[in-house]
Amino acid sequence: MNKIAFVVGVLCLWFVPVISQAQQYDLLIKNGRVIDPKNHIDSILDVAIAKGRIAKVAKNISVSETTKLVDATGLIVTPGLIDIHTHVFVGSKPDKFADGIYSLSPDDFTFKSGVTTVVDAGTSGWRNFPVFKSQVIDKSQTRILAFLNIAGGGMGGDPGQQDVNDMDSKMTALTVEQYPEVIVGIKIGHFEGTEWTPFEKALEAAKKSGKPLFVECHLPQLSLEEQLSRMRPGDIITHSFEKVSERMTVVDEQGRVRPFVMEAKNKGILFDVGHGGAGFWFSQAIPAFKQGLSPNSFGSDLHRFSMNAGMKSMLNIMAKYLNMGMSLEEVILRATWNAAKSIKRDDLGNLTEGMVADVSVLSLLNGNFGFIDAGGNKLEGNRKLEAELTIRAGKIVWDLNGIAAQKLKE
Amino acid sequence: MSKPRRNIFTGILLFLVCLHSLQAQQIDILLKGGHVIDPKNKIDTVMDIAITGNKISQVAPNIPGSNAKKIIDVKGLFVTPGIIDMHVHVFNGTDPDAYIANGSTSLPPDGFTFRAGVTTVVDAGSSGWRNFRLFKKQTIDRSQTRVLALLNIVGNGMTSRFEEQDVTDMNPVQTAHMIKRLFPDIIVGIKAAHYWGDFTQVDRAVEAGNFANVPVMVDFGEHDPPNSIEALFMKHLRPGDIFTHTFSYGPANRETVVDENGKVKPFIFEAQKRGIIFDVGHGGGAFSWRQAVPSMQQGFKPNVISTDLHSESMNSGMKDLSNLMSKFLNIGMTIQDVVLRATWNPAQTIKRPDLGNLSVGAEADIAVFNIRKGDFGFMDIRKTKIKGTQKLETELTIRAGKIVWDLNGLSAPMWDTELQKK
Repeated sequence: MNKIAFVVGVLCLWFVPVISQAQQYDLLIKNGRVIDPKNHIDSILDVAIAKGRIAKVAKNISVSETTKLVDATGLIVTPGLIDIHTHVFVGSKPDKFADGIYSLSPDDFTFKSGVTTVVDAGTSGWRNFPVFKSQVIDKSQTRILAFLNIAGGGMGGDPGQQDVNDMDSKMTALTVEQYPEVIVGIKIGHFEGTEWTPFEKALEAAKKSGKPLFVECHLPQLSLEEQLSRMRPGDIITHSFEKVSERMTVVDEQGRVRPFVMEAKNKGILFDVGHGGAGFWFSQAIPAFKQGLSPNSFGSDLHRFSMNAGMKSMLNIMAKYLNMGMSLEEVILRATWNAAKSIKRDDLGNLTEGMVADVSVLSLLNGNFGFIDAGGNKLEGNRKLEAELTIRAGKIVWDLNGIAAQKLKE
Repeated sequence: MSKPRRNIFTGILLFLVCLHSLQAQQIDILLKGGHVIDPKNKIDTVMDIAITGNKISQVAPNIPGSNAKKIIDVKGLFVTPGIIDMHVHVFNGTDPDAYIANGSTSLPPDGFTFRAGVTTVVDAGSSGWRNFRLFKKQTIDRSQTRVLALLNIVGNGMTSRFEEQDVTDMNPVQTAHMIKRLFPDIIVGIKAAHYWGDFTQVDRAVEAGNFANVPVMVDFGEHDPPNSIEALFMKHLRPGDIFTHTFSYGPANRETVVDENGKVKPFIFEAQKRGIIFDVGHGGGAFSWRQAVPSMQQGFKPNVISTDLHSESMNSGMKDLSNLMSKFLNIGMTIQDVVLRATWNPAQTIKRPDLGNLSVGAEADIAVFNIRKGDFGFMDIRKTKIKGTQKLETELTIRAGKIVWDLNGLSAPMWDTELQKK
């Protein structure tokens, strides 16, 4: 009897794993070119997903082990893209970014361009962050992180944004402490005064909370050189390649990157694109790129006035750099792991086993394309990226051509 | 001066004035060399289109460019009237207790329209007479897209599925006042939707439609067991009224147009002949290949192709209107037929003959498409797909004479011209 029980027991132990192994993965992406810069991977591999996480990245994972199979032959598989500069505190207030119609709902734009994480660039401050969180962050499928504006009311418009007394480094740092999973840094921008107090307070809040400072220009009275010199390694400046009256350009009249800008880069200041409606000009970006000043990340500065302009999507910005001569691997690096590191979120922007399964499957199109900058000028190119499939926490949230769908049985 | 001489003099003067005004009529944008499809005017050939101010000033072959401020070469591309999406939900707002009326299920239109060639949308009953003014102030007045609306027969519009059942809030007289007396330029019809009961809601909507002389659109998908659509088409609706979600497959709640043997029901053809307008209204749950493919094969075509854009459809099989137009291209509809169903047909349905055409004098709402060739897939809401080889892509969208979308910089100068200017 005991022997029979033992045999039955052993058989059960044998079969149970076999049965569960048959359903070990929920989704298997086969034969794609996996580019995972953090893990130095760039080769044809399979990516298996189980329970919303990356379960395995390897060659020849058996198709019998998965419930759903996607053939990614000829496609590029990357970590879910990260857009570190967006304005998504959408609401119904007219003429406002904070809780207003100038901001956009992220899900409307992210998944169709391969983005799974966005960082809101200080649309809210410590006073209205809770509204932002309950109204947008908690209700979106996109992962939303945030830079907290040093102005208490965030981008609530003027005159509120000019009120130095409403810039409270203590309250800002305390709010960061309260939402450590969501707030990734402090933002300064949109201040028209001559005093450095707001900048100092923002830096103070960043120091207190151990987070990077995100500098979004619109600081017409404060010199670029001094902004960069006050910033610490790891702090981020955005709208890097803009050409507007309210900030000195990074490339001078002779087409040279200014020496102090190069120095700042060498010191460890991170340059984000922050394309937006006015923040990216080929006449700045191309000479800068040729001289070694390439951006660390491709923040789109997504908002109502950039969505239909030259910006379009972060994927479009990535294609601009591809056509300017940056390699595909370098482009993916900046859209994933570099972006994750800049906001100190090592859990994002990579396909390490065990990580939340945010994955982008992209196709590289060949043809004749044109790309527009903020000045309405065009660069022609022959390559372009398109988002085929986007996966957020293991769930398919975008499928352009139905590569994960069943064929109609007629 | 004798009378005849005075007449000659006046004639010469008039001639000079005319000549002067012709010369003064400068062209702001000249679209050159595109294949123009303008179903209303029966144009389907290569032509140029001139825009002056916010209006179309000339449609003709070989318009000289000497008078044009900007010439855009659209050779090899299709040029159509700005696309009309007759079924969307755009009453976006922050009421945490509401879903479509002032809620997050509705979307702000501008992020979806221009990139799909759409210049006019018709909100399909997100608001009723009680909250239409808020919708207007919050969304309609602040969008670049032209936003028209069907007013819900329910006063509160689409606040939640439960408010939508309230027959005491279905007021035909007030609904008609709102349309005819207050907002005749914006409200183009009435919507009846999501009702669980008998024909009461539809009948009230038609009553309001008669008072205001506008069409009614019906979403008939939430009856258990389903109400007869034959009775709906033949007894309750009028010619010119609209049936939406035509190719939905959810037979437990909505009677289908194709039966379980794959045959289009005979009364469907009769209903279309009677003047019932069949609208696609794809949405997140209302377009199945198992209904659409047999329909096309048996000669039943929808009158209007529309999206039912909202947060649950935007990232699904629906995506955008150019994607839907591509679906019909790939199941055998010609490009001319597709364009008709997204321009002049919806314009006529909502009784807005000023829209959906490229007549001289019309507001310059124009879409320019390329047809991409390749291997594409198109999903329905049941996550089944068809394969296809053609896909429409929006190259350029012009709204009231203004370029609001330019995918590949057709209208832009090369970047280094900026450096050469120095």
